[in-house]
Amino acid sequence: MNTIRIPNGYNLNLGGRPSADVESLPEPARLALVPEHIPFVKPRLSVAVDQTVQLGAPLMEDKRNASVRFLSPGAGRIAEINFGPRRVIQEIVIERDAKEEPVMFERITESELETIPRDRLIDAILTGGLWPLIRELPYRDYARMDTAPPLIIVSLGSLEPFQPLPQVYLAGKETLFEYGLKALRRLAPQVHVCAPATGNSLPSRLSTLVTLRYAGRYPAHDPGVILYRIKKSAELNRAWYIAGQDVLLLAHLLKTGTYPTERNIVLAGPAAATRKHFLTRLGVPLAAITGGRTKDANLRHIQGGVLTGFTGSDGTYLGFFESAVNLLPEGNRKGELLGLFRPGFRRPSYSRAFASKLSKAELVYDCNIHGGDRACIACGYCAQVCPVDIFPQFAYKAVLAGEVEESLEHGLLDCVECGLCSYVCPSKIELAQTLRKARADYYIEQSKV
Amino acid sequence: MNPIEKFFDSHRKHFEKGGRFERWYPFFESIESVFFAPARVTRNTPSVRDHLDVKRYMLLVIVALLPHYAFGVFNTGYQAHLASGLPIDLFSVVWTGLKYVVPIVVVTYAVGFMWETIFAVVRRHEISEGLFVTCALFPLTLPPTIPLWQVALGISFGIVIGKEIFGGTGRNFLNPALTGRAFLYFAYPVQISGDAVWTALLHGRQVPVDGFTGATPLSVSATVEKLGDVHNALLDSGYGFWKLLLGYYPGSIGGTTALLGIAGAAFLIILGIANYRIIFGCILGTLATGLLLNLVATESSMPFLSLNPFYHLIIGGSMFAYAYMATDPVSAAHMNGARWVFGFGCGVLTVLIRVFNPAFPEGVGLAVLFMNLFAPLLDHIETKFRLRKRIPNV
Repeated sequence: MNTIRIPNGYNLNLGGRPSADVESLPEPARLALVPEHIPFVKPRLSVAVDQTVQLGAPLMEDKRNASVRFLSPGAGRIAEINFGPRRVIQEIVIERDAKEEPVMFERITESELETIPRDRLIDAILTGGLWPLIRELPYRDYARMDTAPPLIIVSLGSLEPFQPLPQVYLAGKETLFEYGLKALRRLAPQVHVCAPATGNSLPSRLSTLVTLRYAGRYPAHDPGVILYRIKKSAELNRAWYIAGQDVLLLAHLLKTGTYPTERNIVLAGPAAATRKHFLTRLGVPLAAITGGRTKDANLRHIQGGVLTGFTGSDGTYLGFFESAVNLLPEGNRKGELLGLFRPGFRRPSYSRAFASKLSKAELVYDCNIHGGDRACIACGYCAQVCPVDIFPQFAYKAVLAGEVEESLEHGLLDCVECGLCSYVCPSKIELAQTLRKARADYYIEQSKV
Repeated sequence: MNPIEKFFDSHRKHFEKGGRFERWYPFFESIESVFFAPARVTRNTPSVRDHLDVKRYMLLVIVALLPHYAFGVFNTGYQAHLASGLPIDLFSVVWTGLKYVVPIVVVTYAVGFMWETIFAVVRRHEISEGLFVTCALFPLTLPPTIPLWQVALGISFGIVIGKEIFGGTGRNFLNPALTGRAFLYFAYPVQISGDAVWTALLHGRQVPVDGFTGATPLSVSATVEKLGDVHNALLDSGYGFWKLLLGYYPGSIGGTTALLGIAGAAFLIILGIANYRIIFGCILGTLATGLLLNLVATESSMPFLSLNPFYHLIIGGSMFAYAYMATDPVSAAHMNGARWVFGFGCGVLTVLIRVFNPAFPEGVGLAVLFMNLFAPLLDHIETKFRLRKRIPNV
């Protein structure tokens, strides 16, 4: 088996690591589909408020491709459809009823899977509403079903603080996972299952399925980073990927013919009082996870990891792709008196400018920006951490100057949106945000022609 | 609540929107943020940000310069007392030094801060901390006898022409402190060069006491008559290895000490503020060129050619400039390979200007400025080269 070493990157020294314990949460009264954070999708609603829906009934479809549907994570009544600024659909909320009637889809047995035509398999996943879980690099939109990808990357585990551990969400589901991989192998000539090279705590049965090991700092686990390090030519650029836990959802759909509901969520971060895994449902309200498990009221709910996740609140619902809630202190207060001149034993930094570098103790990170906006001073930290060898300081200047060609030459499309460049920047430049927006604009421009 | 916090809170309203001094908010902000970091939180991903900001980054450079100031104050007083035939006791030496150095520093900061505030107010952005480093570097490159109006003029030129007209810190392509210094050099060549300016004379003295040599080691080296005499000539003028390394001889206020320059360079490299590639590049360039000149020196060539290459590192302000001027991240090269070339070029030019251009005894400032001009080209070449190796993704 191959082990790839991934240089650069950076591990935050963040405290609040979750334990491997799992607690089952009671069924929540409400569930929601959150379209807002599914990139590029233009939703067209298939339901209206007060309508009754079954588990797995279509809630919306993508205007760009009506065969891509998003299904209801529960059965019951549509209680609310909430819109945000410019009428963006934020959440479609379902009030669950007691007996949850599921929609029945096609069931595919393991032996059928060997012979099923590719088109029929794709149709089954599309009808079952899980196609958007399979995403295509470099833009991370859902995969284009009419193309054949060179490769599918399944990444087990994440080095980002903090995401569910694969040994937790895969425990007892080995057969289902194998089934899911079999289905993926029907979609692409090659499927890479990637797992970390160290800290290997996967059960041996799963270890044999791993085809690629990665060693390195965050974000070495990211499919985009792995692809960047293994590709020898431009042909692999349009590889597909799917998260390890999502393979289970896919397998559940195909094997049982019902829309999956189960999700392993991790609650972590320095502001969380209880830090562990929770077995709950897709589209669960955040309050059901965080309620009574926080340390302090002035905190931020981050859906996903602390570097790539987006800000939620305890009034929102879990996003379609998300499986982590990290709680950090908001940090919306002034710094200590003359903090500028203090050694900074408790101040986390990538640089060596604080005394915190002397110890390995885990630190509390907050959501303060820790500085004012300045012009780039060319310290070069962003290029030191970039996992895909972009020079973010030059790429972002090319973007701002409108030099699309030049930014592409700089590897704009190799960017994996890990957020490290923005994190380390002493001038507090929104590098990751600028590059992300430039990529999205370029993609939208490209798909017009 | 802390009284300092209360003070800022009670005065903030005048500087905020609708307040009397609304336009002067950058001034208020720059002072408040020295005492308390602002409470601003992230709005975009990633939600967490590093604790390092430009303020801390620049502050550490100033911290590295403080020993130079201590040395500069002492050496200015020491040389003045020597040249005026006054007793050398620590207290009075330091007092004399302070009388010369403090006004220069005060004028530099007052004028520099004024320009930066004006530009920040007009452009509606916060005051950038690069200014404080520029203002800390500039006095250390000046002779102690410089008139204060020249100090004001020099720092004005450095800040405005060297930096602000290009958009401020981060957008300049020349080192502002050196730009100001070079301006003074070319604008007032008579007043600011020669051997006399480097030593302050006290009590109305016009000439130093007998036996005091005001000649700097660079001018001694440049005026040697015969090949092979350069080290003897230096020794004759009292410039042994240790004196050159420690820097207690007439010269710019704090730039003569190579030892503190080395210590500062180590400090900045360890903290990751200065790039070691630039500093080592500079040292290598100096040694290589010095050695090459040693090899080509013949009977008929200038005796300066035969100077031990290591002496080029400890004489004059070269180590000071390598540690603090060449490493200015904005005006230096930005790519790692280009940084080596940039540093090497600084070293080469320093020695060449010193040896071959009799008009400029010290060449390091001009060498750094000259390489500043080439830094974008070096970066361009390296990025082109590196990007060609990428597997295209379009």
